Amino acid sequence: MSIPGEVITTHTEDSVVEDATAPRELQAGRSPLRIAAHRIRKDTVAMVCLSIVMLFVLIAIFAGTLADLFNVNLTVGRPAEQLDFLGDGMPLNGPPNYGFDPEHPFGVAPKTANDNLAYWLYGCRTSLVIASTATLFATLIGVVTGLVAGFAGGVVDKVISFVIDLFLTLPFLLMALIIAPIITSRFASDPDYPTIQKFGLVAVLVFFGWMGVARLVRGETMSLREREFIQASRVIGMPTGRILFKELLPNLVAPIVVAVSLMLPGFIAAEAGLAFLGIGVTQGASWGQTILQASPYFEKYPLYLWEPLLGIVILVVALNLLGDAIRDAVDPKTRR
Amino acid sequence: MKRTKSLAVVAGFAMVTLAACGGDGGDGGGSGSTSKDKFIDPASSFELVEAEGAAPEVEGAEEGGVITVLVPSDPGPEDLDPTNGWSVLGNSIQQALTNRSLTQYRRNPEGGTEVVPDLATDLGTPNEDFTEWTFTIKDGVKWETGDPVTAEEVKNGILRSFDTETFTSGPGQAYTVGWVDCPEDYAGPTKSGDCDAVQADGQELTIRMSKSFPDFNLWSTFMAIGPIPLENSEFPAYGRAPLSTGPYKIPEGGFRVNESLRLVKNDQWDPATDPARHQYADEFLIKFDQDQEKTDQILLSGNADAATTVANSLGATNANALKEALGSNYIQQTGQCISTRTPDYNKIPQLEIRQAIAYGFDFDNVQLASGNIPGVTRIPAQGLMPPGMAGRKEFFPAGEQFAYNPEKAKQLLEEAGEPGFKLTYIYDDSDAETKAGAEAEKAGYEAAGFTVEMIPYQEDAYALFDDADSPINKKLNLRATNWCSDWPAGSTMIPPLVQTGQPYNTSYFSEEEVDQRIEEIATLPIEEQADAWGDLDEMIAQKYLPNIVTAYRNDLFGAGANIGGFTGDAAMSAINYKDLFVKP
Repeated sequence: MSIPGEVITTHTEDSVVEDATAPRELQAGRSPLRIAAHRIRKDTVAMVCLSIVMLFVLIAIFAGTLADLFNVNLTVGRPAEQLDFLGDGMPLNGPPNYGFDPEHPFGVAPKTANDNLAYWLYGCRTSLVIASTATLFATLIGVVTGLVAGFAGGVVDKVISFVIDLFLTLPFLLMALIIAPIITSRFASDPDYPTIQKFGLVAVLVFFGWMGVARLVRGETMSLREREFIQASRVIGMPTGRILFKELLPNLVAPIVVAVSLMLPGFIAAEAGLAFLGIGVTQGASWGQTILQASPYFEKYPLYLWEPLLGIVILVVALNLLGDAIRDAVDPKTRR
Repeated sequence: MKRTKSLAVVAGFAMVTLAACGGDGGDGGGSGSTSKDKFIDPASSFELVEAEGAAPEVEGAEEGGVITVLVPSDPGPEDLDPTNGWSVLGNSIQQALTNRSLTQYRRNPEGGTEVVPDLATDLGTPNEDFTEWTFTIKDGVKWETGDPVTAEEVKNGILRSFDTETFTSGPGQAYTVGWVDCPEDYAGPTKSGDCDAVQADGQELTIRMSKSFPDFNLWSTFMAIGPIPLENSEFPAYGRAPLSTGPYKIPEGGFRVNESLRLVKNDQWDPATDPARHQYADEFLIKFDQDQEKTDQILLSGNADAATTVANSLGATNANALKEALGSNYIQQTGQCISTRTPDYNKIPQLEIRQAIAYGFDFDNVQLASGNIPGVTRIPAQGLMPPGMAGRKEFFPAGEQFAYNPEKAKQLLEEAGEPGFKLTYIYDDSDAETKAGAEAEKAGYEAAGFTVEMIPYQEDAYALFDDADSPINKKLNLRATNWCSDWPAGSTMIPPLVQTGQPYNTSYFSEEEVDQRIEEIATLPIEEQADAWGDLDEMIAQKYLPNIVTAYRNDLFGAGANIGGFTGDAAMSAINYKDLFVKP
């Protein structure tokens, strides 16, 4: 029933033709996405990465429960009791100078004596919430503008393309540095400031992250719109909206999924990077914040820096590899 | 948005750093008893000494060498115009090395600080009620150009400090405007011409005060009322390269704003006229805005460059390693500085609640979280007058040292009938240390039975406290002020912090009794004033407690192995640059 595994290595046109024709009757009704999903299931690297990502997602969702399970929380530590402040300033229990401390499995932070595990768990939640929300909105904006520009063409396309180019010329880091304090000073006294800050960050990420998808979708749309099936639907008088969403969009799902899967790790890294610069999330836990605080202690207390760093690296590498695997799976040119 | 760094700039001699609650303050609680380093005996320092001739040689001093000064986390002065100088960093460097004034500070061999004459032949002659001061300018003091320094030029300097519109950050606005008897709208010699309150006759200089000013010869240590050339001294051009009268001068292009300041020997400086300064090193290279961590690592590395390096501040994380590595070149300098929490006097009228705040301030944990070392860089405090200030009285605002005591705080809140009283204060969330400090403070208050609301605020906190219409400011009921004395007298600590309407009276404290007493003390005979300030300090703290003094502030300075004569300047809360030399 399935595609034989032995042709995996062949990438010639012939093999494509063979593949596509031979089991045609058997595969009737299988959508391209189902084929792709099936291929991913066969890909060991992709499955390992997927399980890592799922693990992080579960950690993010159940951060509070997990913290309770380990009996740790975000409340400030008691540095005067927990740190050797007249000595080298390091914790009196647990790493780096002593063995494992069951009360604080990841150790406590120098200076503040905050619990590292609690901050790590909630930092994971912050990362994923911000990155996935930003990805969702950036994709939505990108797809809609791309579709409209690509399909309408003419003046509309020119205007939208100009806007896309304009946004591409704005340096992301510089703009983030400018916008973040404006948001802060506007909403700092608001009781919902921590939430507003997160959404502010999402807005900044979306604002400067949607152009890639928009360009991609626009290009694909332009090539699809001249195809026979679109022209046919026009001829039979299908409304434009229906053409866009019923005919064009399903054919664009593959590139969009790929773009999304690569955008997500990008946003996670950007979120941490901004937090490191002090313009990201300052309320609550964030991996980037922890890295910023941990960097001066690398010599004395390397574990403090490794924890958030490994979190980010593993998650981003896993997402990237998964993204690559998805791209391979949905790309007809690598059909195997 | 990252205002925290620049807050160090504001670190005025008079008004210090940020305040945003949690900044670096600490309060009178805590187990400061662990402190190994005690303060010097208050009354023993700051003597007035009529010194003459050249400064005593520093033991083992050698000539030559280049001294590098690293200044972490402080971009340095925006200009070097003496009239604009009101920051600890700028004044401590310029007054020690390039700009002479009428009087100056000197560190005596016993480690105490003396006030000695500088450009003047003596410490000035006041009339009976201190409303007129006369100084004689020494002969043979020259500018770097070789021209003699005249009384006319000192007069020009004094009058110039009236121009508060041009010299916005200068100390003249607080002292010359307040005390020198010029017309109300007088705005300096360029705008308003002459003012007859300052008379220059030959080498003789007479200054008439509008009211009694016994501390004039302490105020006159400021370069802001030192000599300014009559020609070619327009702001801002003059601030790029002011002419030197001291042992070092600024070479062409020697000052790069926020970057560096290079100083070379001034061959026109005559050591015989200067009882406190030396000219040992060939050059000074001062580098601003350095990274604290890198500075610490340079000193720890102990290599050839580090051996002739001086650090203007040491990081708390490396303090113990540095103490071991630097030995006697590790200095813990007592500052004339305090950190306070100021509960709003109108919103928190009950003394019990204000005391409960003091008991709820978790000294050790707050200090550690904000990157200070309890008992070393922050000392549990009592009154407004820091140790080393003349007239300081040993007392406790509530009969005992405020130490973190949540039970006592709860009990006081019960007595006041306000259990769960809500405190609202601001903090800077863009700086990890300030934020951690504020959170530790919050945890302490909450354990002590308060409810706490913290508002993130990243702009200048003092500007906010000064803005009565700001909706944020209206919400606050707990503010903070950090303050350093301008000279070691109660008159530069108490009135600015508790007098009605003063900009740094952030508790908005106002009591007729206190205001009256402040006015009275200024009219007392000079020898009674110091003790009167001490008594007033005690009375205010015990009766009203408008300022909860959370800590006395100490600074940490360090220098490499080849730096000699490395000491702290207690009057300036800075490094004593006057005695530095390079060991061969």
